[in-house]
Amino acid sequence: MNGIASELPWLWAGLGAYFVATLIAMWGVVPRFAGVPFVKTKRHEVVVLTFLVIGVLLLTLAISARWIRIGHGPWISLFELLMSQLWSLGIIFSLLYWRLSGLRPSAVIVLPVMWILGSWVLTLEPTASHFPATYYNSWKWVHVGLGKVFLALLLAGVGLAGVMILRRTQRGLRWFSSMPSDAVVDHLAWRFMMLALVFDSLMLIAGAVWAQDAWGRYWAWDSLETSAFLTWLFLAIGLHVRLSYRVPAWASGLIIIGIFAMAFATYFGMPYISPSAHKGMV
Amino acid sequence: MFTMIQKLASLKFTLAGMILLAIGASLSYGNPTGVSVWVLIVPMVMLAMNLSAAILTNPRINQQSGLLTFHVSLLSIVILAAVGRLTHMDAHIELVVGSEFSHQNLQEVQSGPLHGGDIEAVSFLQGPYSVQYAPGMQRGLTHSHVKVKNMQGEWQDTVVGDDRPLVIDGYRFYTTFNKGFAPVLTWVPDQGQAATGTVNMPSYPLFDYKQDNHWTPPGGDEIKFWLQLQTSMDVESAWVLEQSSSSGVLIVTTPTKRHEVPLGESVRLGSGRLHFGELRMWMGYRLFYDPTIQWMFFVSIAGVAGLGYYFWKKINLNPWVEGSATDTSIPTNTGAETEKDSHSVIASGTVVSTSPDSSEAGGPIHVPDSRAEPNQHADVFAENSGKKQALGDQA
Repeated sequence: MNGIASELPWLWAGLGAYFVATLIAMWGVVPRFAGVPFVKTKRHEVVVLTFLVIGVLLLTLAISARWIRIGHGPWISLFELLMSQLWSLGIIFSLLYWRLSGLRPSAVIVLPVMWILGSWVLTLEPTASHFPATYYNSWKWVHVGLGKVFLALLLAGVGLAGVMILRRTQRGLRWFSSMPSDAVVDHLAWRFMMLALVFDSLMLIAGAVWAQDAWGRYWAWDSLETSAFLTWLFLAIGLHVRLSYRVPAWASGLIIIGIFAMAFATYFGMPYISPSAHKGMV
Repeated sequence: MFTMIQKLASLKFTLAGMILLAIGASLSYGNPTGVSVWVLIVPMVMLAMNLSAAILTNPRINQQSGLLTFHVSLLSIVILAAVGRLTHMDAHIELVVGSEFSHQNLQEVQSGPLHGGDIEAVSFLQGPYSVQYAPGMQRGLTHSHVKVKNMQGEWQDTVVGDDRPLVIDGYRFYTTFNKGFAPVLTWVPDQGQAATGTVNMPSYPLFDYKQDNHWTPPGGDEIKFWLQLQTSMDVESAWVLEQSSSSGVLIVTTPTKRHEVPLGESVRLGSGRLHFGELRMWMGYRLFYDPTIQWMFFVSIAGVAGLGYYFWKKINLNPWVEGSATDTSIPTNTGAETEKDSHSVIASGTVVSTSPDSSEAGGPIHVPDSRAEPNQHADVFAENSGKKQALGDQA
C-alpha cells in the first residue's frame, strides 16, 4: 500500500450521507408519517436530495484523494470500481430524483441497492493497484462513462420495478400509494430500459474500439465480453417481450430486475473471477 | 411467397433466436475455443433471416427511419463480421532490432479463404525499444521505435507500443509482452562461407531463469546456448528493459565441451569457429488484418444513432409523462387502472388531465403489425396523446 489510505475517511463520510438519505427516504413512504407536515409537504425529499448531493461530493473527495495517492483513477481494483460506481450512480440518481419527482418514492429501493455496493466496498482493502499500459487509451473514458450511465439507468428502472413488485403486498400498496398506477410506473421503467439499451450499445462499441487498440482484436468472446453481450441480449429480449406481449406489472418488474442482475454480475463479478485479458493486467 | 416471408418475420421467431443465441453465448462462456462455433452461428443466421424478413414486411420497422436504421445496421454487423472472418489475417512475428519485416517469418498464420491483402508489400524496420516496469515486475509502457517508408520512399521513424499499433496497408502490428534477447552469432566454418544470424532467447523477463536455445551448424553437432544476462532488472523497484543497458555472457555447450564466450569474442567448435558479435533484443508483434473494422464502427454508430433518434422522437413528443389508460398507444399491463389512474402523472405537483384525443400531433401510431400477436398491440415506444406534461415538476 502506498502510504495511508487517505480516501477512507471521505468514503465513510460519503456512505454515511447516503445512509442518512436512505433512512429519510424510507421515513417518507411509511404511512404512519404521511400526516407529518414535513412529509406531507414533500420537504423530506429536499433533505434526501441534499444528502445524496453531499454523499456525491464526499465521494468525489474520496476518489480525488485516492487518485493523488496512487497516481491513477478508479479503474482497476474492485475497491476502486465500487467506489467509482457509488459516485456515478449517486450523481445520476440525484439528477433523476431532482428532475423526475414522481419516481422519488422508489429511492427506498434504489438506495438500498446502492448500499449493497457501499457495504461491499467497506470490506475491501484499499490497496494501491497497478495501472496497465493499455489503460492509457482515451477510449477507456468513453467506454467507462457510457457504462456508468447505462448502469444508472438500469438502477432507476430497478427502483420502479421494485415498486411494481412490492405493490403486490398490502404494505407495498401503502408505501407507494402516492405513486401513479402500475401501468404508468411500468411505462416509465421501460423508458429507462430503452435508454439503457442505447447507452449499453454505445458502451459496447467504445469497448470494442478500445479492445482493438489495446489487445489487437475488437471482440474475442472473453468472459467479460460474453457477459456484457448477454446483458445486451437480455435487455433486447426484455424490450421485445414488453413490446409485444401483455406482461403483468410484477412480471415486467421481474424482467427488469433480471436484466439488472445480469448487468450487476457483469460489472462486479466477471472482471474479478476471470483471468481473461479484460481484467486489464496484460 | 410474401406470406412466407411474413411468417419468417414473426416476433416469436425473433425471441426464439435471441434465446438460442443467449444459450450459445452461455455455452461458450469462458471457453470460446472449446465449444463449436455453430452454437453462435446457427442462432445468428436464424436472427439474420428473421431480421431481413421483418425489415421487408414489418411496417413498424420499415416505415420508421430510426428503427429501420437500427435493424439494418444489426444485419450489416452480422454480414460484416462474416466478411471479416473470410478476409482476416492473424499472425505473430518476432523481429530482432535492426532487422526488416518479412512476411516469410510470420508464425501461427491464420487467414480467411478470401484474404486479399498484400502482406508481401508491407515493409518496416525494427529499431530499439524500451519497456518500463513498476515495482513488483508489473509491466508498464512499451516504446518500440520502427522505421516506415513514407510517400517519398524514405525511412521515417515512428514509435508504437501497447495501444498504438503500427498500421501499414490495413495490417496492424501490436507489440506484445513477448520480447527478449537475441545474441548475434557468426559461424565461420573451416570450409565454406561465413554466416551471421541471431538466436532468439525465450521471452524476458518472463523466462529470465531459462535463457537458453540451441542450433545445429551445417554438418556439425548441436550447439546449446545459455545466455547469462546482466540487465537493470529489479523486482523491488521500477526499472527499464532496454538493449543499451543490457549485456551478457554466452555459455556454449557442445557434446564434449563447455565454453564461456564474452561479448565480442569467439570460440573454436569442431568444424568451425563461432563469434558472439552483438547482443540485441527482439520484439514479438501480433499481426491483425480485418478490412471491415472501420465499416463495422460506422455501421454500429449509425445503428445506435437510429435507435437513439427513434427513442428521442418518442420521448420528446411526450417527455417523461404517462398518459391515461384510455390512450390506446400505452400498454395497460395490469388491466386494473382506475379513473384516477387515467389522470396520473409521474409528478408530485399538479395533476394535469390527459386527453384521450389522439388526433392531435403526436398521436399514437397504429400501423398494422404483422409481427405482433393477436391482441398484443401494446407499444411501449408509441407516442402518447398530444398533451404534454412534465413528469419532473420543480416542486
